[in-house]
Amino acid sequence: MKVFRHLTTTLVTFSAMVAASVFAFVVVVTFVVSAFRGVEISAWNVVTSQIARWFLLWVGVYVIHNQLPIAVAHGRTRREFLVAASGFSVVLALVMALIAWLGFAIEGGIYSLMDWRADEHGSPWAYFLMFLVWCAVGMFCAAAFDRFGASGVFWVPVGLALVVVTTAGIPGSGNLPFIRNVPVLLGSGWHALSVVAFLIALAGTWVIARDMPIRVRTT
Amino acid sequence: MFDDRSPIYRQIADRIKADVLSGALKANEQVMSTNQYAAYYRINPATAAKAFQQLVDEKVLYKKRGIGMFVSTQARDMLRAQGRETFFGEVVDPMVAEARAIGIPLADVIRRIEQHEKGSA
Amino acid sequence: MRVDVQGLTVRYGDVTAIDDMSFSLSGNKIYGLLGRNGSGKTSLMSALAGYRRPIGSVQLDGEPVFENAAAMRKVCLVRHTADAADKGDKVSYVLEYGAAWRDTWDNAYALELVELFKIPLKTKVGELSLGQRSALGVVIALASRSPLTMLDESHLGMDTPTRYAFYDALLNDFMAHPRTIIISTHLIEELASLLEEVVIIDTGRLVLQEEADVLRSRGTEVTGNAADVDEFTAGLTVLSEKSLGRTKAAMVYGGLDDEQLTRARQLGLELGPIALQDLFVHLTEPVGGKR
Repeated sequence: MKVFRHLTTTLVTFSAMVAASVFAFVVVVTFVVSAFRGVEISAWNVVTSQIARWFLLWVGVYVIHNQLPIAVAHGRTRREFLVAASGFSVVLALVMALIAWLGFAIEGGIYSLMDWRADEHGSPWAYFLMFLVWCAVGMFCAAAFDRFGASGVFWVPVGLALVVVTTAGIPGSGNLPFIRNVPVLLGSGWHALSVVAFLIALAGTWVIARDMPIRVRTT
Repeated sequence: MFDDRSPIYRQIADRIKADVLSGALKANEQVMSTNQYAAYYRINPATAAKAFQQLVDEKVLYKKRGIGMFVSTQARDMLRAQGRETFFGEVVDPMVAEARAIGIPLADVIRRIEQHEKGSA
Repeated sequence: MRVDVQGLTVRYGDVTAIDDMSFSLSGNKIYGLLGRNGSGKTSLMSALAGYRRPIGSVQLDGEPVFENAAAMRKVCLVRHTADAADKGDKVSYVLEYGAAWRDTWDNAYALELVELFKIPLKTKVGELSLGQRSALGVVIALASRSPLTMLDESHLGMDTPTRYAFYDALLNDFMAHPRTIIISTHLIEELASLLEEVVIIDTGRLVLQEEADVLRSRGTEVTGNAADVDEFTAGLTVLSEKSLGRTKAAMVYGGLDDEQLTRARQLGLELGPIALQDLFVHLTEPVGGKR
């Protein structure tokens, strides 16, 4: 519980602050752009559907690569840490999805006031699931690289396969190279598939990190 | 502080004995605690404790439960007696050997000692 | 805390770092873990701290340590510099981890030590000097107040006054809060008087485990006429020999009995003690490497 509390209070707060600053920045940029040309796209949509997932992936990597060894050095078992990290990923994804949705609400208000055209975006659930899977895949890849060194690269395709599904429910999140029309391929089952992808990534992280040696840090 | 070439506890015990002999530590006076000794000389407290135990065994110190270690009443006399026993073997004989090796006549050595006698009288 | 190691083996691929090692530490003492570079000190400590799954068994107070939450709570190992610190984190943030994740953490003491070692709280770990990073490792280890505290090469990069401050802090905190402390170092002479027991390992194997004072009295340097020295040392364990003209000095390992002492006096041999560091050098010398 101590580890979970520390992870959520520090990292969730940090992530929420980053998201809030990015939102403020995006609003400013939108107004600057409006001075030169008409606003046709939602900048917040670009952030939430394109950039945010990479941030979540990074947080996942950070949690396993940086925090796990510190936890063990402070007398915590890997198991205790992984329990905390699993719970943390859900909380983080929830908070970030909430912020994304709040952002859309505020942005929508601004757009209608200014009479700009706001384009469509997905449901909060779609963002939650996307963030959840990307965070878990970040943890999974970090575990693979920490455990297997350079051979961890062979696990990246697995991570890639797991995140493909998350783009289905979000307009503008873009198709991955070579895989077009993911929504069409998956139909309406992408909700369930996202949850499955999250569980696979999490299970993979557990299997790999469960008895991982803590290596000497190179300084 | 220590030459690390003989057991440190013995060096500490010797130092305390020297203090008793010189009168720096008086009869029934409390000596510093094991931990104070350890901190002062930067040594393991178990080593200091060993030195104290040796001195208790030799009846130089005695233990008052819960209070500490004290110099025993007979410690000084005892150490002086021991010193007298070994004095000629450990101090005088090597000195004579040294004097011979470097060519000082024993008569000169004796004269010097007699001067000390007069000086202190 | 008691430590029991049974048939411990640590391998990295084809390299065997610890080879079927067994020993026990009765606990609540300051132990010195001595060994040359690559002898397996860090691997051994890592296994004791549950940093890696052991082949064989590692038990703390009778409980296996690896992934055992109850046993892990009582261990702290700081390797080289600071294990529990990220290069990008500020020192103050590093201490927050200790306060947040450790039940036994003493934050007031941690801050006291940070001040003693003059570690800037607002600086990032990666920007500290090597000596300051080592000192931060000492802070984490001591402030954790763990029943088993291990320091691996914690003196690296520390200047002499800082090292002495470290030794004083270690000793005073050990006396105030007795616990099992294992410390590995290359500076044996400086640390020797702090150690109660010594564990020497070489090429992944246990060479000896002995009380420091007993070990010190084990070694004797025999000096005198070459022929007499040879006669006296015949049948004894001779760690090293050196000659200067007709004079010869031999380092003998093992206690000498009264008969041998008398014989030495008859032969006119000079007997002197050997420093712990010299004993260590000769006990871990590779076969054929003797002078």
